[in-house]
Amino acid sequence: MLRLNNISKTYGKGTIKAVDNVNLDIKKGEIFGFLGPNGAGKTTTIKMIVGLLKPDEGTITLDNVNVWEEPLKAKSMISFVPDNPEIYDRLKGIEYLNFIADMYGVSKEERRKKMDYYLELFNIKDAVGDIIASYSHGMKQKIVLTSALLNDPKLFILDEPMVGLDPKSAFNLKEVMRKMCDEGKTVFFSTHVLEVAEKLCDRIAIINKGKIIALGTMEELRSNAERSQSLENIFLELTE
Amino acid sequence: MNKILSLIKTDFNTTFGLSSIAYSFKNKKNRWQLILFGIAMLSIVPSYFLIVKSLDGMYDIYAQIGQRSMFLLTGFLASQILIFFLGLLYVMSKYYFSNDMAHLVPLPIKPSYIIGSKFATLMISEYLTSLPIILPFIIIYGTKSGVGPLYWLYSILLIIFLPVVPLVLASIVVMIFMKYTNIGAKKDLIRTVSAVLFLIGMIYIQLKIQTIAQNALVQGSDFLVNLIKDSNLLVRKLGVSFPPSQWAALTLANSSSFVGVINLLTFVVVGIISFTLMIFLSEYLFFDGLIGNIEVSASKGRGKKIDTSDLSRETKPYIALAKKELIMLFKTPVYLLNAIGGVIIFPLILVMTNFTGGDQSLSTAIQMLSVDTGYIALACIGFISGLGMLNSIGCTTFSREGKCFWLQRTLPIRIEDQIIGRVLSSLGVQVIGIVTLLISVFFIVKLDILSIVLIVVLGLLGSIPMTQLGMVIDILRPMLDWDNPQKAMKQNLNVLIGMGAGTLYLGGLIFLTIKIIDKFYLGFIYGLITVIFILSSLILFKLLQVLISKQFEALE
Repeated sequence: MLRLNNISKTYGKGTIKAVDNVNLDIKKGEIFGFLGPNGAGKTTTIKMIVGLLKPDEGTITLDNVNVWEEPLKAKSMISFVPDNPEIYDRLKGIEYLNFIADMYGVSKEERRKKMDYYLELFNIKDAVGDIIASYSHGMKQKIVLTSALLNDPKLFILDEPMVGLDPKSAFNLKEVMRKMCDEGKTVFFSTHVLEVAEKLCDRIAIINKGKIIALGTMEELRSNAERSQSLENIFLELTE
Repeated sequence: MNKILSLIKTDFNTTFGLSSIAYSFKNKKNRWQLILFGIAMLSIVPSYFLIVKSLDGMYDIYAQIGQRSMFLLTGFLASQILIFFLGLLYVMSKYYFSNDMAHLVPLPIKPSYIIGSKFATLMISEYLTSLPIILPFIIIYGTKSGVGPLYWLYSILLIIFLPVVPLVLASIVVMIFMKYTNIGAKKDLIRTVSAVLFLIGMIYIQLKIQTIAQNALVQGSDFLVNLIKDSNLLVRKLGVSFPPSQWAALTLANSSSFVGVINLLTFVVVGIISFTLMIFLSEYLFFDGLIGNIEVSASKGRGKKIDTSDLSRETKPYIALAKKELIMLFKTPVYLLNAIGGVIIFPLILVMTNFTGGDQSLSTAIQMLSVDTGYIALACIGFISGLGMLNSIGCTTFSREGKCFWLQRTLPIRIEDQIIGRVLSSLGVQVIGIVTLLISVFFIVKLDILSIVLIVVLGLLGSIPMTQLGMVIDILRPMLDWDNPQKAMKQNLNVLIGMGAGTLYLGGLIFLTIKIIDKFYLGFIYGLITVIFILSSLILFKLLQVLISKQFEALE
């Protein structure tokens, strides 16, 4: 579904390699967790997939569509939720949702159905008439999540999605992710919450200093680790 | 003391992006952008040169009537009044709407420290405005009147202290204004409306004072005798509208005598006292206007029940984009004041100068044009097209996205929709300008229906290339890293470059029209202008397609 081929990205005068020859092949219907310490290259990798940062080398394809050669086609299949969503805070929630739906060309019937469902699920239905500047961090996160789900994306990419969400919404989001995968969609997310990754992900990749240092199911990671059993210990052991 | 120095240093750094410039420089990024920027800045030079040349002529006129000091007063008045008006906008956004306030307020520092450091940065910004205006005046006067070294020394001191009094006045006015309007949920609206009214009122009063002073001056029977006797007569009489400018002019005009020293001391001392007074007042005024100002009343989720079926409508992407742009323009006070306020205020000034009688030349010009309303329509079309750049919408359209720019780059929006949507938003604002202009012109001269249609259609058509020209500049060097919407709009150099480029484009067109206006039938000229507008729109559209897709990929 999503394929990263020898992706590299260098910052500065070619001295700092943020992402170094990364290869990933993520399948349809998979929840893929992307872990790593701060500054390891998680966000850089995600930015290259969603079109915010052009890779120096390598290709990224989505259902055989090259993300950087046919950006419009690729972007209409992807929804992206960044770690610190900055959105138009002078718009009302509902205006923002309609704006995003218009950009994806979501039909009136479809967007009404989706809005009703997700606004109810994230418990922000009563706030969509207010301007976004009045929202708390968590509410902003929820409106971005709702907007990202309006177009029924084939690939759902989230950078640190659990930060700022209340426990119930975090639970609901996990349910949404699970359900999407059951429908054959793909979810790719980065997180620091190892328990979430351990319980939710079909496969996990750990990135450190720009290189993938571990990749596989929880079972595979466990069997490769020397002594560790929990993801936390595996993570600490590998990224030392 | 350390605290205030550290505040000033940090504020300088964030305001002028010093660290990020150093970063880009070190990483050899955006080098070609810097070159393009240089070329664009050069485009302003011809217009500036023309203005300086006309100042030279102005000096000669004052010299002929023995009132050379009046030339200096004009320069000081122009720069100080401009500093005051711009200061009102700068101060408002810098003291009250910049995001760093949320970090500064909880720190254990006095309000006066915050104001002091912000004031220091504003002074630097104001030099950028005042220097291009005052320098030609000082240099022309200095070189043409054969002055001594003291003149140049005094000039430096005057230039340094030039922004103090107007900026202090602007600060005090804004602090009082914000303290007493910090009320209720509709405070943004209240403030914007009262700010526009205040600006219009100030312009009106200024024009009125000038007119009264001029009339009073000429009416006395011994005017001409006094004019010959006192070479500073005009400055003394007309400088009353803003005494500091009067002191500055008298300092330089009498640089070799004691009068000069006295006026210089008055200018500097009043500056220092007024600054101290403002700092003292800030302790009482500042926090009252600020606290509860940054926060919008928190959404309690108890707003009106929204039924999604009523509000979810399908719209074409470019319409949705234009709508979003317009909502943001109307709901962000700084944008509202600059973009929409601009297209309303300029036509109003046009009418007010006519009513206050301050500028007879305007009504004379209109009477001359009135021979054929076709000429008035032409002038109005030029004016509206000019507003297309002055509204600053095109040349800030990408900059205004700021930290939300990621949305535009990750959403599947066609480049064509990007261009059309953004141009439409500018046209939406232009409609307001056209309506204001038509109403304003109505008070001076009656236009026929055909002229009105021509003004509306060609005015809008002419606004398209102007907006696109601004967009070309903005996409080449978008200013995305801002913490205060003012930076995206008024402190954005793209606006200045846009005006230079717009002046070249429109100036060329006006020049062409004047050259051929006697030789051809008026209908032909309208046709020619239409063709030029359409052709340039198409060419700029193509250029934008290439630039946007390239920059959307390249920006990081």
